[in-house]
Amino acid sequence: MLRRLVQRFTSRPAPSDDEIARELRDHLDLDAESLASSGNAPSSDARFAARQRFGNVSGVGEAVHDVWHWTWVEQLAQDVRHGARALIRGPAYSVATVMTLAMGIGAAAAMYSFSDAIHTPFPRLPQDKLLWITFSNASCTPDCTEVSPPGLMALSSRAPALTPIGVSGWNPALRTAGGSELVRGYQVSPKTFEVIGAPFALGHGFPAGAAVQNGASVAVLSYEFWHDRFAASRGLLDSVITLDGKAYTVMGVLDKDVIFPEAADVYAPLVLTAASAAQYGARYLQVFARRADGARLATARAEVQTIGAQLAREAPRSDSGWVMAARPIADYHTDDLAILIRISGIAALLVFLAACMSAANLALSRIAARRHELALRSALGVRRWRLARHLLTEALLLSLVAGVIGTVLARWGAHAIRDAIPPNFAVFVPGWVRLGVTPRTLVFAFGAAVAAMFAFASLPVLRATRVDLSAVLSDGGRASTGGVQGTRTRATLIVLEVSIALVLLTAATLFTRSVRNMIAGDAGVRIDHTLVMPVTVPQSLNDSAAVDFYRRLDENLRMEPGVRAAGMATTTPLSNNFSGVNFAIPGRAPEPGGRGLSAIDQHVTPGYAPAAGVRVVSGRMLDAHDAAGAGHAIVVNQMMADAMWPHGNAVGQTVIIDTTAWTVVGVSANVHHGGLDEPMRYTVYRSLSQAPLHEGALAVWTVGDPDAMRDSIRRVVARTDPSVAVGEMMTMEAMRARHVSAFSMMAGMLAVLAVVTMTIATVGLYGLIAYGVAQRTREIGVRIALGARPRDIVAQISGSAVRLTMIGVAIGVAGAAVFARLLTAMLYGVSASDPRTYVGASLGLVVVALTAAVVPSWRASRVDPTVALRD
Amino acid sequence: MPAPDKDRLELLQGTLDMLILKTLLFGPAHGHGITTSIRQSTGEALVVEHGSLYPALHRLQRDGFIAAKWEKAPDRNREFKYYRLTAAGRRQLIQQQSKWDALVRAIGSVMNPAAEG
Repeated sequence: MLRRLVQRFTSRPAPSDDEIARELRDHLDLDAESLASSGNAPSSDARFAARQRFGNVSGVGEAVHDVWHWTWVEQLAQDVRHGARALIRGPAYSVATVMTLAMGIGAAAAMYSFSDAIHTPFPRLPQDKLLWITFSNASCTPDCTEVSPPGLMALSSRAPALTPIGVSGWNPALRTAGGSELVRGYQVSPKTFEVIGAPFALGHGFPAGAAVQNGASVAVLSYEFWHDRFAASRGLLDSVITLDGKAYTVMGVLDKDVIFPEAADVYAPLVLTAASAAQYGARYLQVFARRADGARLATARAEVQTIGAQLAREAPRSDSGWVMAARPIADYHTDDLAILIRISGIAALLVFLAACMSAANLALSRIAARRHELALRSALGVRRWRLARHLLTEALLLSLVAGVIGTVLARWGAHAIRDAIPPNFAVFVPGWVRLGVTPRTLVFAFGAAVAAMFAFASLPVLRATRVDLSAVLSDGGRASTGGVQGTRTRATLIVLEVSIALVLLTAATLFTRSVRNMIAGDAGVRIDHTLVMPVTVPQSLNDSAAVDFYRRLDENLRMEPGVRAAGMATTTPLSNNFSGVNFAIPGRAPEPGGRGLSAIDQHVTPGYAPAAGVRVVSGRMLDAHDAAGAGHAIVVNQMMADAMWPHGNAVGQTVIIDTTAWTVVGVSANVHHGGLDEPMRYTVYRSLSQAPLHEGALAVWTVGDPDAMRDSIRRVVARTDPSVAVGEMMTMEAMRARHVSAFSMMAGMLAVLAVVTMTIATVGLYGLIAYGVAQRTREIGVRIALGARPRDIVAQISGSAVRLTMIGVAIGVAGAAVFARLLTAMLYGVSASDPRTYVGASLGLVVVALTAAVVPSWRASRVDPTVALRD
Repeated sequence: MPAPDKDRLELLQGTLDMLILKTLLFGPAHGHGITTSIRQSTGEALVVEHGSLYPALHRLQRDGFIAAKWEKAPDRNREFKYYRLTAAGRRQLIQQQSKWDALVRAIGSVMNPAAEG
């Protein structure tokens, strides 16, 4: 082997192709001579006979050539050269194919980076080692996942395959120079940062040992909080900050982008008292765990399951029917988004398929146009494999260029997706900010390009290498129609493209209408000129001091320039953050199924209803007269009034809450406290003076831009009482956007994909019709010569386009119905089988297709018979 | 391509090189001459396909077992590509021939045990 290699590069020079040809020609001559001299044939025929006996001369020449050369490298280079040249000669074809494929690859890669970003929410943690442990029961899945303290303790002591940690949400008030501010935080098991392997920018996690167990106050900050609030000061380490009025020593600052389990500002140790070991029903801990080195996932899962079963036996009252499970930690974030990812994944796959089909279609028409050339080359002895390889090389060149452009498109698309989501929503999806083209996306795009090459080139290659020589050559090179079969393949591809376009168009329309319904939908309160924010009064103030603070705050704010009204409530509309209270109605029959009645419980100051824009339907809203000593007054919402007192006589009736009787003094309009797409719930309003609370939300109705009022509101609160903390302020518009943005982003994404696919399909249809017209020029000329009117020609040609489109629409409607079933859960105010949407989308598609068909049809009707027949 | 003759023998894999070398042992020859020579010496039983002959010639040339030169034919005023055996080719022929003989003996002893005694 080595000797051969050396020889190839040393003395013996390869004979030139001319020399090889000459040698073979000589052989033929000698053969002819000997045939002639043996008298078997006259000399003129002898040469022919010799030629026949020899067989494929150029094939032998190639075989000889191959002996001397690194043929595959050479041929590849040659193929690439040829391919590039051929592609440059046919720029229309190349550009159309590249753009089509680029759109498909771009869409697929953008969706991939979308789902990849969401699936790696913890880029700085060893995500594959970490688990999320859930404790749930069939009736509350997927909303309940938390574990009780005894559950966490059982996992700690009885599961050798993993190390669990518990996490509990915590929103302490941070004392600042200007007052107090609510920050986002977690109380976590002391060894959390070691267990999850979180890197630190500064300092370290909580010290081990008794200090922590005794509740010594230590804290760890997130990099972002340290950076934004403390100007990244290194001096902060070991210094003291005040949270909820207590001193905490800063032990460390986490590294950049360390998010656990959601974006947070501050972490403190979670302290489980001895008493909590028996609190089985107190499920308030999110539990995560690290798999021990060498422990298999299946082992960890089995242990967790076993412990769940043990808990159900130990505390049947609270835990029977509850199941414990270990899941990948990414699920903590992706659960809610799974359907989003699935829908966008399917949509991207459809676009990719449509793009490949369209490219295959273009390639087929090009093959048809080059049929003559291919047949000739095949007749001249170019081996079939060589031809196929030639075509594949061309396809690969196109795909790679498309891959590069597709990656650029994907980058643009991923950034568009990222920017379509407001930051306050993106906070819930840690992967979101990193959405873009990563190395993994590049690999994916390249893979997609190669896949596209095989997908779109295989049909044409099969077709080209099965060229029937005699048929093509005897046609005189004119009617190289690609045959009936070729047209049928192309028509099938068009039909499928049209049906894919319809599926996406229907989905996009459903989503858009759903979003429009959501925005148009009445939240029950004012959306503009309103600012809301959480407010926490320190526990050190007693109830009457808190009530007094609320009264003064309402007054002080009302006197602030730019404020129309202000008021406190338990929670704000559209916050998705509410709790229920059980109530009873005297004389009402027990509810079916024995379930109690419950309502959203709003404790409000007199200023709240005007500030938030809660309308009074009948009776009155609560006011300053509903003070601590006055009679217990309650306002119910319309929905509750209608259900409890269907005769419209709600005012004056009695509602029992915790054995106290409350008199209904008014009925309010319905207000959405959860998402706009969620069902309305019963709601009761009571006076904060009669039902005090320390944590609530403030609503402010402003004269001008609510965003401009942030600082002055903060100042007024601090002036009223510096120990009261204010959390993140949001306009009601932002609150609504938080609910709508995911849907509107989805609608936008589907709309873009639908338009892309429609364009691809329409261009394909146009190409097919135009090609058909070009091939049938003679036939059309004959028909015009025989007296067909231009109208007949247009009708006939457009008719075939409409027929194809209609078949596509029929398949598409069926496909859309299947796809829409997946969307059902995300639709609002429109049914997944909404006939108007289906008819509208189908009609739209038919109109676009018709437009595409009219131009070539019209051109056909202008065929000049004398020219057509002479050619 | 001519229909294969029923009485013709198929060349065993790898023997063509040896046949070419052996033919050239008697003096330089061009491709046509080699085919003719092999055909005649086997009584028309072996006909070397062109598709095999020329790649084989060039392979042997490439590997240095034969050398080629364009020379005038003795009987006419025209140049042909003549191949002749090199020293390496001679050694290769001896090696291949002894291997071949051993192979024939071995196969013979299986096929005709009686004849071997």
